[in-house]
Amino acid sequence: MKKSFIISAVATIALSSAAWAADGWGIKNEKITRTEAKVVDIACEVTGNCVANCGSGKRQLGLLFDNGKLVPVVKNNDPFAGATVDLISFCNKRIVADGLMISHPKMPIFQLQFKRAAPKGKPKGKWSGANWFGKEWEKANGKPGGEWFQHDKRVKAAIAKEGVLGVPGLKPPAQ
Amino acid sequence: MHKKLIAVAVALGIGVWGFAAEAATPKRVKVSGEIIDTWCYLTEIMFAEGSAHHKCAIWCAVGGVPVSIKGKDGKIYMVLRVEGDDTSVANPKIVSIQSHEVTVDGDLYVRDGVNYLLVNKVADDKGVINLTHKKHGVVPF
Ligand SMILES: [Cu+2]
Repeated sequence: MKKSFIISAVATIALSSAAWAADGWGIKNEKITRTEAKVVDIACEVTGNCVANCGSGKRQLGLLFDNGKLVPVVKNNDPFAGATVDLISFCNKRIVADGLMISHPKMPIFQLQFKRAAPKGKPKGKWSGANWFGKEWEKANGKPGGEWFQHDKRVKAAIAKEGVLGVPGLKPPAQ
Repeated sequence: MHKKLIAVAVALGIGVWGFAAEAATPKRVKVSGEIIDTWCYLTEIMFAEGSAHHKCAIWCAVGGVPVSIKGKDGKIYMVLRVEGDDTSVANPKIVSIQSHEVTVDGDLYVRDGVNYLLVNKVADDKGVINLTHKKHGVVPF
């Protein structure tokens, strides 16, 4: 995939954010979904090993629906980022999750685009975009969050150690 | 469970499976396969395996997307713990073995169509074996 295409795709998604309604990404098995569910620490919910505040951002989070079904939220709306930063403040609370339910036959997953608090019997909270990974990264690193992956120290260290291809000493082919 | 009780539960629309899920006990398993980025692999957005996709898989792992093992049995196992460290968001050990071919011992929980794996030990780490860059270059860019 060409770099320009990815950048324009990301820009399109950012522009459409104003509508507070999820876009389709053309992914097989995707369904644009707006749903209420409780945000839970997956390890706690599945194994019973629970820690304070759903792991404070260090544990994967999922949506627990009223029918007892659990779906992992694996992605937010930032490039190459998960949704933990967007969801951690809603630990064990109900939200309206807006995004894509992807019913892959090997494993169902959710991609989060917008979220708002949805406490039972109370007014719903304000919508916010699921782009807090980039925002937090920007705050912590003082560089634009949109291209965080090009500048992140942990990424640089991993690539320095094993190379772009993951095999020490092996150089990528000219593209 | 008594047959009559099941019949009543079914009639009332109560999920009989619910009872079993409450008392989830893990299964001891040995899983061999490739460490992959869950998102790129399942969405089939790009070629998401091996050396071609290694850089992207590092980005996603550091970005906090769950990391999984694509088992030789064809199943996807989402990793929730690695060797005593039960963090699963940008876990440094997992980042360090991204795209590698591994064999792990772990505890498996299956819930709502997802295989959740708690890795007790990375028993074998062969490094990156799947040299997909020969065919695909580096994906993306
Ligand atoms: Cu990728």
